[in-house]
Amino acid sequence: MLHQTALSSGVPQIRYVDAPRFGPGAQRVNAFIEPMLKCLTDPLTDEEKHKGRYVPPAQKRVLFEGTLQEAQAFYQQTKPILLTGRAPIARYTDGLPIIVPTQELVEEMLAGTSHKPDEVIALQSDRGGQDSSSRPTGVMSGGVERIRPKGTVVQFTPMNWTATVEKVAINAVMAGCKPEYLPVVLAIAESGCTTATTTHWSQWVCVSGPISKEIGQNIGTGMLDCGNPANSTIGRTYQLMAINLGGAIPGVNRMNAIGSPFNRGGMCFAENLDGLPKGWKGLNEEMGYRKDESVAMIVCEPAVCCQGSQFAPSAYRGLQGRGYGGMAARLGVEGKEGPHNWMEYLIPGLWSNRADTPMTFLMAPRMAQDLKDYGFNSKQEVLDWLWKKSFIPVKEYRKYGWYDAKTSGGIGIQQTSGKRWKDLPDDYMVPALGQKAFDNCIIVGGGPDEVCLELGGRGFFSGIYPVYSIDAWR
Amino acid sequence: MPRDRVYKCLNPTGIQEPVDVEPLAPRLDRLDGKNILISAQEADPVIMPALVERLKSDFPKVNWRVKDSHETSSISMTPEEMETTDAVIQGVAW
Repeated sequence: MLHQTALSSGVPQIRYVDAPRFGPGAQRVNAFIEPMLKCLTDPLTDEEKHKGRYVPPAQKRVLFEGTLQEAQAFYQQTKPILLTGRAPIARYTDGLPIIVPTQELVEEMLAGTSHKPDEVIALQSDRGGQDSSSRPTGVMSGGVERIRPKGTVVQFTPMNWTATVEKVAINAVMAGCKPEYLPVVLAIAESGCTTATTTHWSQWVCVSGPISKEIGQNIGTGMLDCGNPANSTIGRTYQLMAINLGGAIPGVNRMNAIGSPFNRGGMCFAENLDGLPKGWKGLNEEMGYRKDESVAMIVCEPAVCCQGSQFAPSAYRGLQGRGYGGMAARLGVEGKEGPHNWMEYLIPGLWSNRADTPMTFLMAPRMAQDLKDYGFNSKQEVLDWLWKKSFIPVKEYRKYGWYDAKTSGGIGIQQTSGKRWKDLPDDYMVPALGQKAFDNCIIVGGGPDEVCLELGGRGFFSGIYPVYSIDAWR
Repeated sequence: MPRDRVYKCLNPTGIQEPVDVEPLAPRLDRLDGKNILISAQEADPVIMPALVERLKSDFPKVNWRVKDSHETSSISMTPEEMETTDAVIQGVAW
């Protein structure tokens, strides 16, 4: 990864030394200080003095010729990787068999878009966030959104490679997609399919807009589960594109220490726009698009892979029906009929050791309706209420393990005060669920039962994970 | 599909674009008297302070400057720093 980053930055010969990751500081410094200083003083070699243009060898469009059986074996080739316990890791796949991307199948796939096969993947829109008039979209890199204007060529991390529409279509074939899914896959490609590093970054895609019905996405019971071709294969493309277009190989340059189950097969789902309470907006409208437009929100977050089941559905019905049971007792509404604000029940523990980690609440339509009936007239009103509840004294915030990373060691500016974190008095109250309410997210979907899951939010380090227009790729 | 038919199968991998390559900055003929910037991106809170302490102790005639960050993005140098810095040691950690 270091070599590739150096190359794409125009200094392929950059000098570096490895430093030990563990042990007392002085001991670790001993291990590399001499070679590090030699890097500063040893005369440059002719190669290091070279100025010019690196032109890579021409890439073959046809990678393999043979029978389907031979091709399947070729695409499933593996290599042992030291950091995985010398386990075989696939070079071109996610470890599962693929649909062999024959020239014919790729041509069929390309019928799913009006874009030319040789068009380079670039950002299609300046609209990407809540305030579409002022907020451009961006590309993801290392789990952080980098704002870029429309037309910016997308680099797929970690290798910083580029791709064409045909390349994306090849990966869509391999994942088992139908041609009508291709605009969604191309929108995902716009994100650069980052995989990030170390902590358990989970990548997931939420589609919002009419296209989810057109292509038959499961928005109801088991929407995150198996069985739905659109959700399963589109989710898989994210991972195949990360592997093939970004060159992300576990243990080589994809260093998710334990990893996330979301990434094994890929995770795509869609919002149930028909299940929204009256007056609540879908993700598409929240992010600056129209109701009749389709978008894909791409999230690569290290926070919450998925957590839920804080209560039994029957307990929830007891709460809302007649103020019965443990949930009602905690909320202090025993004996009172609903609607009750059930999100209050979730709060203890939500940010107990996850300070400044926003969340996405994936809730069943019934539960969204209960929030509406309780008095929240929009998702934003729910998020504003929750975010205000999350304020804790900065004295406590400083005790969290993300404090240094999220505040630049205290020298960064805290948003609500405009002051440096380190200069804030101990009792100053700061939010623990993101820097703003909109870092958090509500998505309505799932079956008729009373279930809510929490995933990582749409903001983490800074800004909001962007959405990409699917219609731009039709 | 016939089992023995030969198919042309396409390449799913990304494209390495040509890159303009720059030479490395000239090396130092000595350390003493030089302005050396130690820049720590996503700093390791153990190794970087120990490194700075050791360098200042072993090479007191060097003007060591430290620019620290705990963020994942690269640290930019100001135009003045670019003008007055002889060498940079960039720490990268997570």
